[in-house]
Amino acid sequence: MIDVKDLTFSYGKDKQALHGLNFSVGDGEIFGFLGPNGSGKSTTQKILTGILKGHGGTVSLFGQDIKNAHTQEFFQKIGVLFEFPYLYANLSALDNLHYFASFYPKEQLRDAEELLDELEFKRDFLKKPVSSYSKGMRQRVSMARALISNPKLLFLDEPTSGLDPAGAVLFRKIIEKERQKGTTVFLTTHNMLDADLLCDRVAFISNGNIVALDTPRNLKEQNSNHSIVIDYLYQGKREEQTMEAPELKAGIPFVYDELISVHSQEPTLEDMFIQYTGRGLT
Amino acid sequence: MWRGFSHLLKKDFKLMLSSKFFLLALISLVLYSCYINFVYVNLDQEMYPVYLYDPQDKLSVTSEYITKIDSREAVETACADQYSVGFDFSADKPELYMLSSGLETTDHYRMVWGEAVINGNVDGQAGVIGTNNKEMKNRREITAEFLFFELSAVGFLGLASMLFKEKQMGVIRVHGILPVRRSMFILSKLLLLLVSDLMFTSLLTVINLGVPYAIDVLPEVLLQAGILSLIMTLVGFFCAIRLPDFKQFSLFYLVLAVFVTTPVFLAGQTGIAWDWIVYHPMYHLFEAMKAAYFSTPMVEAPYYLICFGAIILLFLLVYQTLNCEMAKEG
Repeated sequence: MIDVKDLTFSYGKDKQALHGLNFSVGDGEIFGFLGPNGSGKSTTQKILTGILKGHGGTVSLFGQDIKNAHTQEFFQKIGVLFEFPYLYANLSALDNLHYFASFYPKEQLRDAEELLDELEFKRDFLKKPVSSYSKGMRQRVSMARALISNPKLLFLDEPTSGLDPAGAVLFRKIIEKERQKGTTVFLTTHNMLDADLLCDRVAFISNGNIVALDTPRNLKEQNSNHSIVIDYLYQGKREEQTMEAPELKAGIPFVYDELISVHSQEPTLEDMFIQYTGRGLT
Repeated sequence: MWRGFSHLLKKDFKLMLSSKFFLLALISLVLYSCYINFVYVNLDQEMYPVYLYDPQDKLSVTSEYITKIDSREAVETACADQYSVGFDFSADKPELYMLSSGLETTDHYRMVWGEAVINGNVDGQAGVIGTNNKEMKNRREITAEFLFFELSAVGFLGLASMLFKEKQMGVIRVHGILPVRRSMFILSKLLLLLVSDLMFTSLLTVINLGVPYAIDVLPEVLLQAGILSLIMTLVGFFCAIRLPDFKQFSLFYLVLAVFVTTPVFLAGQTGIAWDWIVYHPMYHLFEAMKAAYFSTPMVEAPYYLICFGAIILLFLLVYQTLNCEMAKEG
């Protein structure tokens, strides 16, 4: 679906933003693009969505070089959720969706009301102006705008930003549902939980370079020390022991009265990011 | 492509309605028309008084415009207002006496008027300008001025306020990923503003010149209004996208009004003569508008070529600026 080779981009003489990125995203894959502010992830997404021109290297989407691909047919196949919910504040959710949907062929459109229902948008607000909505409601309308054209390729920038925990869970379910339909998702985020739970593969980008690219599980496993912490009760006292995973092959090698918990000491995705880049995701 | 364009037009029309653009245009139309019909047509300049000192009665002409006085000192006192014209016939050679008003053109008119009175040559000279009577001359003149002001300043502001709303809402960026050409985003606004300005022009002209006179001048006036409307809309578009907020835009607008429009009005409507004004592009647009109202088209092919070139260049500049705006960070 997406094939990027030696992608470079510069905002000016001394402002090289991307230094030769290489990655590909398969059909129906959820690909996470993780990086701190200013790392080049927005620039990459803008190049892929056709907003920024003048890049170096080769980028192909839908099997076509992007330099020739930014036609109306190309934009009909992609959906974009921006980091901020850009909507006409004087129009209602429905009017916004009808307006943005009007640029796509009718046969590829989803029903706006059904889509908003799926996103658990409060029906009372359907015809009220966007200016009266909370941030979470605006984010729902923005997500509906990205999905209304049934895109084959979905670009999501911080999809769960501004949502409460229940909203974030709902959005993850919807993104998962899109994948099941065969939609490819390019997810740009700071949210490690989203990346860990949703992405088939993630790329860590730092200072315009991809410093690691693999499945979240592999990234964590490769850097795990395989130690396990066991919490237990013995003779009325709570105790804790740390041991290597192979030591547990023949069962728990110490005496205990009751097991309380067993924790693997696998690093988190955020730990891995910091390890690879030396920077936090802020 | 045209389906997308029609949706953009519909959306822009709604935005113009919600930003009270049409209401403001209607209010302007009413105010201008009331001022023209109830105030300006009745305005008339007082004739330059002519004072004559002629102790030997050398001048045979008698005129209601001549006031005879009995000394050279009286001539000088009467002309101290920098408005009157004096003649001293006491010497062998008649002498014209006047104090300069500071405006070369006005002084010239005073002198011409004074000589015409002394030569008994006033009938049918000052009251009729071309084929217009005084009232029609006033109507054409002020209608051209109001229209120029409306198109170059008020319309410019209306478009900017509409565009700033879209910019603040961030929706301009969304149009960067919609299956519609970016140029259509500009063209829909241009077309709406153009149609609105041409309607305004037609109504203002018909109301203030009357139907028969308006029909005569409208083709040329609409052409000039169209050129001015396109140029000012594109300039407004560029500034509204380029400037970060409405405060800065207001400041720029003030600069535009003071340094760009005012010199054009002063040079075009008063006796002030500036050689450099011919290099001021708005001056030519203003003069072309006035000429259109007086049915004396003075503009030629180079003028239209330059205007056409300017519109194309501005369009490309706006297109480039729009691309930058779409690529901006949130």
